[in-house]
Amino acid sequence: MAGICGIYAFDEIWNVSRFVYYQLMAIQSRGQEGVGLSVTDYEKVRTLTASGTVQESLLSEKINELTGPAGVGGVSTRGINGYVTEDVAIYYDGSVELTADAVDALRNDLETMKEEDAVRRFTSKLSGAYSMIILTKDKMIATRDALGIKPFVIGGVGFDLAVVASETSALDVIGAEFSRDIEPGEIVVIDKHYIDEIKSEQRKDPAHCIFEYVYLARIDSKINEIDVHEIRKKIGVLLAKEKPVEADVVIGVPETAIPFAMSYSNKTGIPIDIGFMRTGRHLRTAIRPTQMERMIGVQLKLNPVKTAVRGKRVVLIDDSVVRGTTMRNIVNLLRKRGAKEVHVRIGSPQLVSPCPFGTEVPATDELIAVENTEDEIARIIDADSFGYLHLEDLKKALGGECYCSGCMTGTYPEV
Amino acid sequence: MKFMIVGSGGREHAIAETATRSGYEVYTASDARNPGLLAMSKELHVVDILDGAAVAKVAHNVQPDVIFIGSEESLFAGVSDTLRKEGFNVIGASQKTAEIEKSKGFMRKLMEKYGMHGRLRFKTFSNINEAIRYIDEYPGSVAIKPTRQAGGKGVKVIADIQAYLKEEKSHAKKRHVSDIVEQKLSKDLEDPILIEERVEGVEYTLQCFTDGTHIVPLKMVQDHPHAFVEDIGPETGGMGSIAGTGNVLPFLTKRDYDTSFDIVKKVVQAIKKETGEPYFGVLSGQFMLTEKWGPTVIEFYSRLGDPETVNVMPQLQNFDEIVNGMMNGNVANIDAKFEEKANVVKVVAPKGYPNERGMGKGHEVAIDFDKVAQSGSHIYFGSMYEENGTYYTGGSRALEVYASADTVEEASQKVEQAISHIKSDWKLFHRKDIGTKALMQKRQDQADLARDIFRYREARGLIGKTIDWIPGIGKIET
Ligand SMILES: Nc1ncnc2c1ncn2[C@@H]1O[C@H](COP(=O)(O)OP(=O)(O)O)[C@@H](O)[C@H]1O
Ligand SMILES: [Mg+2]
Repeated sequence: MAGICGIYAFDEIWNVSRFVYYQLMAIQSRGQEGVGLSVTDYEKVRTLTASGTVQESLLSEKINELTGPAGVGGVSTRGINGYVTEDVAIYYDGSVELTADAVDALRNDLETMKEEDAVRRFTSKLSGAYSMIILTKDKMIATRDALGIKPFVIGGVGFDLAVVASETSALDVIGAEFSRDIEPGEIVVIDKHYIDEIKSEQRKDPAHCIFEYVYLARIDSKINEIDVHEIRKKIGVLLAKEKPVEADVVIGVPETAIPFAMSYSNKTGIPIDIGFMRTGRHLRTAIRPTQMERMIGVQLKLNPVKTAVRGKRVVLIDDSVVRGTTMRNIVNLLRKRGAKEVHVRIGSPQLVSPCPFGTEVPATDELIAVENTEDEIARIIDADSFGYLHLEDLKKALGGECYCSGCMTGTYPEV
Repeated sequence: MKFMIVGSGGREHAIAETATRSGYEVYTASDARNPGLLAMSKELHVVDILDGAAVAKVAHNVQPDVIFIGSEESLFAGVSDTLRKEGFNVIGASQKTAEIEKSKGFMRKLMEKYGMHGRLRFKTFSNINEAIRYIDEYPGSVAIKPTRQAGGKGVKVIADIQAYLKEEKSHAKKRHVSDIVEQKLSKDLEDPILIEERVEGVEYTLQCFTDGTHIVPLKMVQDHPHAFVEDIGPETGGMGSIAGTGNVLPFLTKRDYDTSFDIVKKVVQAIKKETGEPYFGVLSGQFMLTEKWGPTVIEFYSRLGDPETVNVMPQLQNFDEIVNGMMNGNVANIDAKFEEKANVVKVVAPKGYPNERGMGKGHEVAIDFDKVAQSGSHIYFGSMYEENGTYYTGGSRALEVYASADTVEEASQKVEQAISHIKSDWKLFHRKDIGTKALMQKRQDQADLARDIFRYREARGLIGKTIDWIPGIGKIET
């Protein structure tokens, strides 16, 4: 998983490096392992990379070393999600491989042909999903794969800046005005003297990643013209309708499951309470097999608030279940704090298949939902009952068929 | 009747066409051989249009019944005064009264002095450091402008809301203030720097003819100041305009219209009191619908707008009645009559505009006029010239493409079609988004939001008020 962002100033009075830095913080939830930031001063593209989160990485100390009127960056769950040289920096969210040869060819083509043609040629050789930003010495180019799998938006600030990012949260953080989603297959070329929007001629049906809405995107973001928070609230209502249970209190696992819990509570009338406090900083528990251990550790930083659950029948709501280990630990914690019953509800449909497009859904044999029914899962995690959101309901909430739900069905669109 | 125009752009082309359509014989004094004006004029005299004596010489030659001054710089230079002194019948503000456009400082002071609706907090400076100190201490976001009208250049609007980006923004603001002074954007004005309160909302223009007492408003138009699609990119003189079927823009209300008109009326009165001269000519208000005031003044033009003129003039039914009224010094009881059509204008500019105009100069442009006509659109020439039957760009906004239809969206599509028949080896650009459903919806949303907050403030008696609390100083209510 990854997040990308970029800023282009039309006027050299601006130094954008700190703007990009704050943008990166606003999409930090899309990856905390690696961060890269590149800035051009029209002469040269300079880059800083670091591991860890934006704020805690070396980036914080070194950001003043970069100055210039245009810059781009990325955060990722694995190293740097891009490729940088001294005259071009590329960051992407998706599943493509950028080889040195391909990037060299692109650099060459950018010198000799129209930007859109150079970029088209470059991306036509890639296979996989991508939302991608290419920073050259004097241009910023944004492009999105033909299915629009990964989110991508564009906006501006006054008469001064053009801004692109994975999520609108990275526009809001710098006070930019949202303009629109970059369309599937589109190329946007931003130059000092023009902005070219080249829409794709071969329009396919889009296949936006459905997992963004239940888990990946921030709730203050709007992607593919849909407010994420609205969908999360609808999911809570659907869970309440489809998987009702008699209980005394609703508790959401912070932070992503809180909106589900809130609207589940509103719909059922069962009061919501704050069930957990977290020790340490918030880390997105990106679901990735090699990270499983770490994820469990993170989740265990959650400490139940005793009086919220003691003697009560609890509806515990989380956003997803992978192996079930974490959930079992949480259920167990609640029982130890005196919960009389624990009913687990999940705000996403079951994950049954890995994601070929760059989201780290674990391999099939690591997914509890592949082999087990809801009742069996309840027994494994020691819950009184267990229920998922139905995929059909999720689609209904989103109101359309233009989504990739491969991790929930095992069927993938063709990129 | 002989109708003489002073000016050289797309605006003047549209005026010339309207005058011809209304039965006048058009003569032009221009500093460029604008191909559109050339085609419309019986005679086109190339002359320095800032030189009153030179323009008067042309006028003596032509002996026009009426002279219409299109260009603001001519007004600032006192060309209308000279022509009047020589006995000509002139439609155009005097040098003194045109100050309302030339100096945004004059305009702001006037509004302040007369306590007018739609005014903004401001201060002008001659000293860079004092301006910077004011910006640093200002409890909010500001717009930084050259005090003088600079032809759609030099305005920066910098929202300063994120504390963590304050330093970066402060740095940019300081550089901009220095740029205004160093690049002499305010020319000879005493206080070249204007800092004013930043507001938010949708913008629109209300253009009016006035004899100094009575006012004839034209239909409202919306300009698009950003260079590129989606309202992104540098400030320009305007990249296109839209108007709805009625006098009120689709996203505005009758009340917005009335308030705006009332502001223009009060300004006409105030100018007379202040300068001792009646305002005689065209006065256009550029407004923004904000939560602070509803209609709020951004600036005034002492002439018709560009690209606003091309939007409204082709549909104006009784131009001659208005001109007659102006010639007799009285436009009482005249209403401008328009066809019930929605209009869209899109500007086509060469790459290089607005920031490096030199680079966009001298490039060949081919126009397939038949195809353009088939699309139902019409082309007005701006910064263009012709040599041996070939058109070349002049570096600034080259063409204005106009169409009208039952809806704004339809008109926009016609214009798009026409623009596809304008070709050049040099990159030309225009705003595809002007007049699209998506952009119209965005304007509607912005306007609704501004009105909602405005109504809340109105109910609490807060219209036009700003209340700040500054540590160590206390509460300041303005
Ligand atoms: N006080 C302000 N608050 C917000 N935006 C402003 C303000 N003043 C100007 N602007 C923006 O800047 C643009 C240009 O400013 P304006 O005063 O009209 O100068 P110009 O003479 O260059 O047209 C306006 O169209 C508006 O978009
Ligand atoms: Mg203006």
